Amino acid sequence: MMSDVRRQRRLEQTVIFLGLLALSLIWLTPFATVVLSAIRGQGDLLARGVFSLPKKIAWSNFAEAWSTGDFSIYFRNSLLLIAMKVPLGIFIAALAAYPLAKLRFRFSGAIFIFFLAGLAVPVQVTLQPLLVMMKQLGIANSLFALVPPYVAFGLPFQIFVLRGFFRLIPSELLEAARLDGASEWTAFLRVMLPLSVPALATLCIIDVLATWNEFLIALVLISAKESRTVPVGLLQFQGEYSSQYTLLMAGILISIVPVIAIFIFLQRYFVAGLTAGAVKG
Amino acid sequence: MSEITLGARRPVIVRRRRWRIPVTAIPYLFLAPATLWYAAFLVYPMLQSLYVSFFDWDGLSPTMTFVGLENYINIFAVDEVARLALWNNILWTVGALVLPTFFGLMLALALNRRAPASTLFRTIFYSPAVLPLVAVGLIWAWMYNPHFGVVNVTLKAVGLRSWTNGWLSNYEMALPATFVTFIWSHVGFPMIFYLAGLQAISKDYYEAATIDGANAFQRFRHVTMPGLAETHVIVLSLAVINGFKVFDLVYTMTYGGPGRSTQVLGTWMYFQTFQYYHAGYGSALAWVIAAIVLVIAIPYIRRMSRG
Repeated sequence: MMSDVRRQRRLEQTVIFLGLLALSLIWLTPFATVVLSAIRGQGDLLARGVFSLPKKIAWSNFAEAWSTGDFSIYFRNSLLLIAMKVPLGIFIAALAAYPLAKLRFRFSGAIFIFFLAGLAVPVQVTLQPLLVMMKQLGIANSLFALVPPYVAFGLPFQIFVLRGFFRLIPSELLEAARLDGASEWTAFLRVMLPLSVPALATLCIIDVLATWNEFLIALVLISAKESRTVPVGLLQFQGEYSSQYTLLMAGILISIVPVIAIFIFLQRYFVAGLTAGAVKG
Repeated sequence: MSEITLGARRPVIVRRRRWRIPVTAIPYLFLAPATLWYAAFLVYPMLQSLYVSFFDWDGLSPTMTFVGLENYINIFAVDEVARLALWNNILWTVGALVLPTFFGLMLALALNRRAPASTLFRTIFYSPAVLPLVAVGLIWAWMYNPHFGVVNVTLKAVGLRSWTNGWLSNYEMALPATFVTFIWSHVGFPMIFYLAGLQAISKDYYEAATIDGANAFQRFRHVTMPGLAETHVIVLSLAVINGFKVFDLVYTMTYGGPGRSTQVLGTWMYFQTFQYYHAGYGSALAWVIAAIVLVIAIPYIRRMSRG
């Protein structure tokens, strides 16, 4: 009887495993398609089909896509943008999350909901006024135009996650710092932030990916080539080389390799952060 | 002279204690940078857009003509593309509520059993979600290529030549084809939310149910589903919110076409505002999206503000 149950369970496990295996192969097909299309000559691809192995590996596609697609400009811009946006946004969010988590004051609930409502605001409803505003500020078409909306749209989620994390840190530690004569500012900077490094790091990773991937705001606020970020640049590249499939796939691969690398190496931190607060306890 | 007076009046110790911030102001000072930033670059543009939506304006010229609710009336009564776009958003959202949610739950249930290589499977199913949607759209546009794309090549190889299709250039198939791409790229979200939710359900409940003679289906029905109630709120709310915000995939894969068959509110707003220079009308479209999403998000935001 016991062995029957065990055998049935093993059968179940095997069926589930095979199902997952089949499905994961389907899920990997688009990745395989990109790679198999990017590493060969166009003639080879069209004559022998995507699923065939390349006759000869054409590494030169990557160098050609990189230079003809001006990816060096787009990579530089996206990296600069990340360097400006991510630390600034997360620091401002941490500042706001601290009193919401640890101090008692009037309207704290209302202020928190005011920020949370931002989670549901579609970017579209701010685009046209943002464009006008950036023109007035004289930074339309520059990378700087993206920092204000990117930070603003990042705040709701970041404040939400950091408030949740800050609340888990024992208030006694802050109390001890205050008794030692630390101001609220020092308690935040010297006690709260160092203890929150895991949450801050997680948010940084999520934010780096989101900034790298953002498309619509960058599409509207930036038209000059010198200021384009990777997604907008990639789409431009596609517009110019839409029938040069191998070159296009090489360009796509170039622009997704950084996010894939970050995801694979740092996913432990990343996945936990995304679901933070979604589950009780 | 004055220096001496000052020095004489104030003992050193007092001078070192600078002006003190009133305790009650401290929380608001911490909140000030985020609040001002958020107000200036999110709330203000939102309200400005609401204001613009009551005008006939090209977005550039200094003259704006007040038209009251005309833009909104046009969306629902005159502009057939807007109604099609709204309908496409509704179809998309219903699809997003059912398919990725169901697949995500099934994957989470399977992965939660600690099957071999479950971490690897989780990574594979989640990985498309970290890609830029522009790249996702371009990859799938290549897969849907009528002559050389993987989809048609595979159909021909397995003897289903009659199923081959222009996909993205076909009026009937373009939206479903784009939605398949959406499933591929988004199934990871419900999956990881449900995984986190499943892991928070105590094993004791399952043991108790088993002792009481509950079978697998009854355990799922009476332990797993109630245990996931909170997760359902999050997953379903996010599906609707994102269903009405959809832009990147449609823009990169079909550009709203063929014809205007795959226009959604997000893309139609973009075309109206930034391609046809109907800033007032585009703003009204944007506010239709915002109003729908904000109303639907109320239970989600309630849930997030608790605890």
